[in-house]
Amino acid sequence: MKRAIWTVAGLMSVSMLALGASAQAAEPLKIGASLPLTGGFSIAGTKHQQGYELCVDTINERGGILGRQVELLVSDNRSDPATAINQYERFINVDGVEAVYGTFSSRLSFPVASILAKNNMVHALPAGGALRIYTQGHKNIFYFQPNAAEYVGASLAGVIADLVPEGEKPKTAAVVSADDFFANGVWSGLMGEKVMDPADGSLVRDLAPGYLAENDIEVVFSERWPEEGYSDWLNLANQVKRSGAELIVGLTASAEEAVQLTRALKTVRAEPKLVYFSQGTQAEYLEGTGSSAEGVLVHTSWHKDAPFESVLAGEPFSNTDFVAAYQEKFGAVPDEDAAIPFAVCQGIEQAIIGAGSTDNTAMGKWLSERTKENPVRTILGRFNWDELGLPANKPFLMTQWNDGELQFVYPTDEFEGVSAMSYPKGSF
Amino acid sequence: MADILQTLILGLALGGVFALMGSGLSLVFGVMRIVNLAHPVMIIAGAYVAYWGFKLYGIDPLVMLPVAIVILAVIGILLYKLVFEREARSAKYSEMTVLLTFAVAMIVEGALGGLFTNTQRVTSPAYATDAIFIGDVFIPTGQLYAGILSLVIIAGLALFLKYSRFGYAIRATTQNREAAELLGVNVSMVALVSFAIGIGLAGAAGSLVSFVFSFFPAKHWEWIAVLMSLVVLGGMGSLLGTVVASFLLSVIAAFVGTYIGATWSTMTFFLALFLILLVRPQGLFGEKPELA
Repeated sequence: MKRAIWTVAGLMSVSMLALGASAQAAEPLKIGASLPLTGGFSIAGTKHQQGYELCVDTINERGGILGRQVELLVSDNRSDPATAINQYERFINVDGVEAVYGTFSSRLSFPVASILAKNNMVHALPAGGALRIYTQGHKNIFYFQPNAAEYVGASLAGVIADLVPEGEKPKTAAVVSADDFFANGVWSGLMGEKVMDPADGSLVRDLAPGYLAENDIEVVFSERWPEEGYSDWLNLANQVKRSGAELIVGLTASAEEAVQLTRALKTVRAEPKLVYFSQGTQAEYLEGTGSSAEGVLVHTSWHKDAPFESVLAGEPFSNTDFVAAYQEKFGAVPDEDAAIPFAVCQGIEQAIIGAGSTDNTAMGKWLSERTKENPVRTILGRFNWDELGLPANKPFLMTQWNDGELQFVYPTDEFEGVSAMSYPKGSF
Repeated sequence: MADILQTLILGLALGGVFALMGSGLSLVFGVMRIVNLAHPVMIIAGAYVAYWGFKLYGIDPLVMLPVAIVILAVIGILLYKLVFEREARSAKYSEMTVLLTFAVAMIVEGALGGLFTNTQRVTSPAYATDAIFIGDVFIPTGQLYAGILSLVIIAGLALFLKYSRFGYAIRATTQNREAAELLGVNVSMVALVSFAIGIGLAGAAGSLVSFVFSFFPAKHWEWIAVLMSLVVLGGMGSLLGTVVASFLLSVIAAFVGTYIGATWSTMTFFLALFLILLVRPQGLFGEKPELA
């Protein structure tokens, strides 16, 4: 009798353990993302949320990650760095998330990087191109755009060197920029400035002489506008026009600023040879500027026609699949603000599968071991990273608005389907 | 010389738009002592009215202006009845309304974001990016039309306040609420109508803003400090003061932007706010508060 009781008790214990294990297996895998859904970055933040949601929904439809459904926790940080920090702390220490997705903008990503490093979390950034973020010595940090902001100018220099005929190249430039973390990074690269570490004032990189000087382009006018509240666009555009610059570089921090600057340049009847903006690939840029956008160059990390093949939930998932899925879910053509976070989500998913668990140390190790031959495959193309966490040998795409379409024009040898660049720009 | 003249024109052009943006804020404070932090978000709401009229039906924002005034005025009436009327006699009314209007601003921003997404918008009638060139100097037609219409609306409001019977009542209430009530003025009705006019002016400003600046629901946070500096410099509650301050600060900001730097042009508004509070807290046209 006694033996029978012990046998039954033993069986019950085993059953309960099995049930417990099964219950744990069924527990959703929580992933947190603090995003600027309101405030100054709300336009991009909302699209980031859409990118993350579409990716998580698709993963869940395909059976989840390691057999577990993904539960996405999104909090609105109101475009405020302190709130973003608090929300990631809360995700990790209160909500018990097993992984996180990065936030939008260098301004928010810079402080968030320290918090995630302190908590030993893999930090996959959809936006945060300022070089200083990657030189803080954080491990497990991985950028999901082609390169740091300071090196964006290489693509513009490449366009001028390779696509503009000799004798017609611009010789003078007006560089106007938002006083923004990311835009300042691009500025440093173009103007050949020193990048300093804000913590101890040490030199991070000396970017002299800069991409413009390397291409024999003289800067005849340069100006920064404040990050928020600037409204004197016509005055700025008029100064750009009066400088007589043949190349206009507008380091806009948002599509909204790109719209304002383009409309102002049209009003003052500026007629440069070439115009490059750091933001302006979004559909609302075209809506706000109409035919004035014609010929404007904008760098991007993603393009809807790029033939990137990737994987999601262990199955092939191409860039074309992403565009179709996004259109079906949100009724609009996606832009890079939705595509980049989608790629971040793919990267985290592949890291969890690669590590076989949500152990962030193992995930980080797996991501850092990626190579050109064995990369992370996303709708933004293939990713492997250098020791700083910046992608290795990955060029930005240079796009140009032509006939109301954003066409990619450079580099010309990356893949098929590159359009001819229109030049010169002329009037807006 | 052409540079100076051009800078002056651009400053004046911007000032006209700011004048209308600030006038509703000034009126509501003058009559009701409400520091309406929700005023800029109401301007955004007015801009959306113009935007959808333009986008869906191709109606010019200038034509949509009266529609925006009516829609926003009705919203103003509802808002006043729901939020502000009950506490109108409280001794701490002004202080309370700062918090109340802050909450209203956040709620309206959220509602606009939910209805229209956080995507930035702008209307694009042909004149919005055109200019009249006289030699080297140009006058941007968008700002010119917006500025002229702003002044016409403000002048109309000033005439209404000065010569209409209801205008007397509003001015009497502005000067001394208790005395006006003792003399038979229905101050509750005056407050309600004034609030509706103030929010209606936000609607009008929104229609004009829709083709001068791009906008999205959260944009109002960038405007509140600028508008407050205009109203404080002009004298809280003084319509004329708001207009003068708008032109003055916009012209100064334009010169600062041209000759010192764009970064400092925005600072002009905040520096002016700081200085006026130190030197003349009642503003250029405000009355010195009586000592208790």
